[in-house]
Amino acid sequence: MASEFQITVSQQQGRVPVTVFHINGDVIDANSFQQLEAQAQAAFEAGTRNLLLDMSKVRYISSAGLRSLHSIFMLMRADTPGESDETMKKGLMDGTFKSPHLKLLNPSSAVTDTLRVMGFDMFLEIHRNLKEAIASY
Amino acid sequence: MQTSYSLHTTAKLENLSQIRDFVETSAMELGHDPDFIYHALIAVDELATNIILHGYQGQGGKLEVQVEQVADDLILRLRDEAAPFDPTTLPAPNLTLPLEKRPIGGLGVYLARQSMDEVHHRVTSTGGNELTLVKRRPGQKT
Repeated sequence: MASEFQITVSQQQGRVPVTVFHINGDVIDANSFQQLEAQAQAAFEAGTRNLLLDMSKVRYISSAGLRSLHSIFMLMRADTPGESDETMKKGLMDGTFKSPHLKLLNPSSAVTDTLRVMGFDMFLEIHRNLKEAIASY
Repeated sequence: MQTSYSLHTTAKLENLSQIRDFVETSAMELGHDPDFIYHALIAVDELATNIILHGYQGQGGKLEVQVEQVADDLILRLRDEAAPFDPTTLPAPNLTLPLEKRPIGGLGVYLARQSMDEVHHRVTSTGGNELTLVKRRPGQKT
């Protein structure tokens, strides 16, 4: 039986407001990634500019899921005049750039492995603790 | 002890869970550890997704998934009736390119190949595809 893919949203306040997506479905694959993207789009349209994805319940992420992380990363920078493409590219090359707007909370070691193999840890911060994650924005 | 498991299903995105669960359960019965199994799941998911979306163009079709243990090798087979396509001929993605500039489908196959020791393709006698994935049981850990 396919598991339900559900996202619970909470709003947290650090230095800036942060929207947290608690991903309750256990897989982000070719079948479920669109829901994640649609919800991120809706949040962005409602004013979200800082998003934390709580991956603690995600057992598995496929390349489709990784693409959606990338789409959401691009979405969240759509509104930021202070961050040029050039600065980002340079930062990616020398390993100093991390998205200030999209971060991940507690992916499992297996999911973290996939993120690392595909180079996603290059531009997405991975946090292990909610408070610390919120404070980092 | 059973060493071969077979699943006949339809190539649809909604069935990806079923396919992964089948591989996971079979590999567990064969005594493999979670880390090892996870890599097998990655490979099967990525390649099954490609069969669903590209092989059958989203229209559905038959998909057979087989899990077999031969000595130290876990062997997974995916058989379809889609037009012949060999994903092993796809070039490795250039990971320095931004994602949106990479060709569609390349990432999934790359991830699948990174997860297994061998990936082979052949055209079946009925003109479809058979993908054979091999993952060797790791040696003694020190």
